[in-house]
Amino acid sequence: MISVSEKFYFYYFYHVFKHYFSIQQIGIMSKVKVTLKVNGDLYEAAVNQSKTLVEVLREDLQLVGTKIGCQTGDCGACTILLNGKSVCSCLTLAIEAQNKEITTIEGIAKSGEELHIIQEAFVNEGAIQCGYCTPGMVMSAKHLLDKNTTPTELEIRQALSGNLCRCTGYARIVKAVQVASEKINQSVTEK
Amino acid sequence: MSIRNFTYLEPKTLKEALSMHAEHGTKSNILAGGTDLLIKLRHHSIQPDFIIGLNSIPKIDYIKLQDGELAIGTMAKLSAIVENTEIINHFPALAHAASVTATVQIRNMGTLIGNICNASPSADNATPLLVYDAKVVILNNVENREINLDKFFTGPGKTVLEQGEIVKEFLIPIPSKLTGSSYQKVSTRSKVDIAGVCVSALISLDKDGKITKARIALGAVAPTPIRVYKAEEILIGKIPGIEIFSEAAKIAKEESSPISDMRSSADYRKAMVEVLTLRALNESLESAKKK
Amino acid sequence: MDPKKNKNNLIGKSIPRIDAPAKVTGKALYTGDIVLPGMLHGKILRSTVAHAKILNIDISAALALPGVKDVITAKDTPCVKFGNWRLFPQTQDELPLALDKVRFIGDEIAAVAAISAEIAEEALTLIKVDYEIIPAVFNVDDSLASSAPMIHDGNPDNTSNISLDRKIDVGDIEAAFKDAYYVREDSFTVHSHSHAYMEPCASLAEVDSEGRVTLYTSTQTPYIVQCLLASTMEIPENYVRVIKPSVGGGFGGKMELRAWDFCSAFMAKRTGRPVRIVLTREDELAVGRRRHGMKIKSKVAFNKDGTIIAKDFEAYLDGGAYNSMGPTATFLCGNFGAMIYRYPVYRYRGYHVYTNLPPSGAMRGFGAPQALYVSETQMNMAAVDLNIDPIELRLKNAMVTGDKIEGVTTISSAGLVESITKVAEMTNFLEKKKNLPKNKGIGIGCYSFISGGVFNWFNTQYNFSSCEVRVYDDGTAHLLTMSADIGQGSDTVLRQILAADLGLPVEKIRLTAGDTAMTPKCDLGTWGSRVTLMNGNAILDASKKIKEQLSKMASLKFDLNVIHEVSFSDERVYAKANPKRGITFGEAVKMWVKANRGEELTARGYYTPRDKGLTTPAYSFGAQVAEVDVDPETGVITVERITTAHDCGTVINPLGVEGQLEGAIQMGIGYTLCEQFAMRDGKTLNTTFLDYKIPAAEDMPEIVSAAIDTYEPEGPFGAKEAGEGLVIPTAPAISDAVFQATGYRCKELPITPEKILRATGKI
Repeated sequence: MISVSEKFYFYYFYHVFKHYFSIQQIGIMSKVKVTLKVNGDLYEAAVNQSKTLVEVLREDLQLVGTKIGCQTGDCGACTILLNGKSVCSCLTLAIEAQNKEITTIEGIAKSGEELHIIQEAFVNEGAIQCGYCTPGMVMSAKHLLDKNTTPTELEIRQALSGNLCRCTGYARIVKAVQVASEKINQSVTEK
Repeated sequence: MSIRNFTYLEPKTLKEALSMHAEHGTKSNILAGGTDLLIKLRHHSIQPDFIIGLNSIPKIDYIKLQDGELAIGTMAKLSAIVENTEIINHFPALAHAASVTATVQIRNMGTLIGNICNASPSADNATPLLVYDAKVVILNNVENREINLDKFFTGPGKTVLEQGEIVKEFLIPIPSKLTGSSYQKVSTRSKVDIAGVCVSALISLDKDGKITKARIALGAVAPTPIRVYKAEEILIGKIPGIEIFSEAAKIAKEESSPISDMRSSADYRKAMVEVLTLRALNESLESAKKK
Repeated sequence: MDPKKNKNNLIGKSIPRIDAPAKVTGKALYTGDIVLPGMLHGKILRSTVAHAKILNIDISAALALPGVKDVITAKDTPCVKFGNWRLFPQTQDELPLALDKVRFIGDEIAAVAAISAEIAEEALTLIKVDYEIIPAVFNVDDSLASSAPMIHDGNPDNTSNISLDRKIDVGDIEAAFKDAYYVREDSFTVHSHSHAYMEPCASLAEVDSEGRVTLYTSTQTPYIVQCLLASTMEIPENYVRVIKPSVGGGFGGKMELRAWDFCSAFMAKRTGRPVRIVLTREDELAVGRRRHGMKIKSKVAFNKDGTIIAKDFEAYLDGGAYNSMGPTATFLCGNFGAMIYRYPVYRYRGYHVYTNLPPSGAMRGFGAPQALYVSETQMNMAAVDLNIDPIELRLKNAMVTGDKIEGVTTISSAGLVESITKVAEMTNFLEKKKNLPKNKGIGIGCYSFISGGVFNWFNTQYNFSSCEVRVYDDGTAHLLTMSADIGQGSDTVLRQILAADLGLPVEKIRLTAGDTAMTPKCDLGTWGSRVTLMNGNAILDASKKIKEQLSKMASLKFDLNVIHEVSFSDERVYAKANPKRGITFGEAVKMWVKANRGEELTARGYYTPRDKGLTTPAYSFGAQVAEVDVDPETGVITVERITTAHDCGTVINPLGVEGQLEGAIQMGIGYTLCEQFAMRDGKTLNTTFLDYKIPAAEDMPEIVSAAIDTYEPEGPFGAKEAGEGLVIPTAPAISDAVFQATGYRCKELPITPEKILRATGKI
């Protein structure tokens, strides 16, 4: 990692000499290495310190399942889990997400052939249309069901209200979460 | 738009954060939850050279009872406020306001203190904190200071915080036994909406049922969240009831000075101050009587 | 029930969408997810003023910025005007980049391609545009004033800012009104509205060494984009390949060639590197297409018994700065002004007016929601005045199968009467309405919509829908079609139709769709609820040809009498009268290939509606009831329940239809209650989802629905439109319910708490 004083030096250097250097060069100079633990795997990337987590996930790690819908934290398409809590990855700096467990939509299915219970319910209940809100919606559902395996319909609706959908009217998404919740409880009792 | 690049500084103590903030002055911004800051950065309404992230400072997200007060640390998230049993028991209006602030994701990221320091006139959580007489503990490099929240806001997006200062915590006195409080919000477009108008109230009764303490605070109807002292005063010493509450609600309405914007008109907001104040007082009374 | 409906147990079966597993795991690729080697990032410079002459554009500083690979303005391009209404060249009023004039805040002026998005953005700030400001107009009234500036002044035919009009005259309107017992006359304002699809538009172009373009774009009409990109780049259509990856919703907002499509392709050609442009939500909300705001005057004449005798309907559409799909909205508004009830005498005057606002375009139901908000609200008002209950008044006038729409067509199936009766029964409407508790309301609204358009405004030479079906000796089939699934589920439904007809399981149909170079010409794309009916018919046409061939094989093999019918089901081809006499589908294909000396068995299918008038081959119908609660002190409206009975012909995939219905209600509630643009001097102020509020999960009511059993003779297996028209009835139903609860009758959408409090004297 570059030390604080080095960063400051770059900054000073940039402002004094910025007319002599292209933005591109400065861009490279001010990049830092971030180490991110995503879905259990460690990734390293050299990024601008201003980069948000969703930008680094998509552009640097090619994990494009996490979507960008608004960049202002209003639509929830970029929802991921950070240490198990749902957050908007568009309002999180990548550099802040170091040393934390990051879970994205790519990380919850058991394998390429077996979906997570929540994903399976979304498919079977018709909770998906255009699919653009789906990854964020699934992550919000997971955040809810990880905390509360028996949510009421109102609790589900409240938990999903940070995820906007324009296709489904939410009815089938709510149903899918209910079905997933039942399945999760069944599998718990069976065990 | 892309966020302009900056240098991210990662202090390990609040003291270190203070000295970084002092060193870089107006070129630096404090990053707590980031839910407001990152939007400002993206829209280029601020373009700092340094971001001082408080994320790595240990043990400043506390919510704890001490000496008859509740202390809320600078990194306490809104989701923690919603779930904290002390807050639910002693400060239900705050728990309610926090629970309807933005969305799950934003509450998982955003801090209570950040929400207040952002000084939006419509900040959901400002009015309950005002009625609970919250004090703001401010750190700086010279001498820490403490200020009542009703003296904290100076304008839309503006507070008394000076360059290089950081809010350490809020201290909120535990209300007396026969106290009730309420948070009321009207969102005109969606249940998940920023407050069109919000009102908090608090009433303490003596054993004869007279009002010994009254607080009314309004959000989104003035340049800052405000307390309506005149309306509070007329309640003191009175036996609570619909007439005196209605009078207080009318005064609150007169004291408000909302603007018309794309979210609501001034007329509507004024009318809502009266409606919500009355509702908040009634609910406060109900809850005070139960105790 | 018609036996055809349940063909092979696949028609009417809820099948999860075929792309669901890819979407739910994040593997489905949308245009903005795709990265090509060497790709550049494009950004577009937009006008910051509403109306101005462009005096000069200085791009030198932007070009000099290291990392910038290209900067283009109109002068670098062929400057070919384009528009979807190719049949009328005078409607083609748009250039990919503005040449001499900007007409709204957001009009595209220049584009940059650079090695990073940040550099491209930086370069935009270095482009200097000198404007000569012209007075601007921001509403229809100002635009039609004699002093108004001409927004499109190059064309000598233009004498005002009315870009086009439409007139319909059926019967003697003056005489009809003279004899009327009761006349209902009102003026309405219906507002603009955003598609708010979740995926912001994106395009990614690459150009090979021979100048052939491949464009990945978030579109609902690959064919239209292909044609218009070719014409604006002045290259043959065949040199443009448009690929539609997964698309995150469209609702009409993605059915034109847009500046970013052109700019990414044009800069890719100039730089020799792929160029991707991705819009932001701010771009979408600030300058994206939107629903037409309209001012409508409507006068309806009734007999004493409630029979409608005439209607005089006049609409001014706020078109914004360009025609876009405004001509269609102007036409459909007129058509739907005369729909769902019998109007023996009808006059329509529709005017599409330019203003200096972002262009309005196609949006779910285009023209119909506005027209039917007015019509249905007037029906509810007339019911009160005539003292006839709103159900009876509707039933008295409702269109039925076989009704002739004067000068348009004869309706081949209509389940409106059944829908109204059913929804009234499901909600116990009349009883509830009589005994409403305080602050509660119940209201009704009905609708009809088209199943694809007939009028060939795009002026294509090709069939409206085409497909190719290939079958293989492994018992599978490959369906190739240009149709575009943008979330509505057509990829699943089209496979379902082919599978049902060939007697194969859905999994055995491979699909290639939405790629203009790989699929037959053409399919006009996803708009006007056309895909199931038109593409479905094309598929049945191809399937029939395949079956004819394979029937011969079974016939030969079992020496079938010529009178035997050959059936296709359970992956077998067999004599219907004696199912044992049959072979597997794969064996039949193998026999055919052998018999034809190694040829591949394929068939092309086509559909173009003919002899169906100029509007649509089939109409859907339905009725909806809204139940609301209004807080009398705050005016806040809570929609508690929405009940719908709808006639979409045969339901092919109930899961898909119900999903469309529920989604339409979300959009309908948003339109009615909380979504509107805040505009100031031509600038859109609410450009985030914080301030452009679409309903969230918590805002949605209980949804109840029933499908009415009808059979549309023109549709595949009897199917017709579902989903688009359902956005129409919600506004009039809620509006009527709010009236019942508060006494406030909304003639100016949206219905806000403030309007209710003003109307009830609370403020």
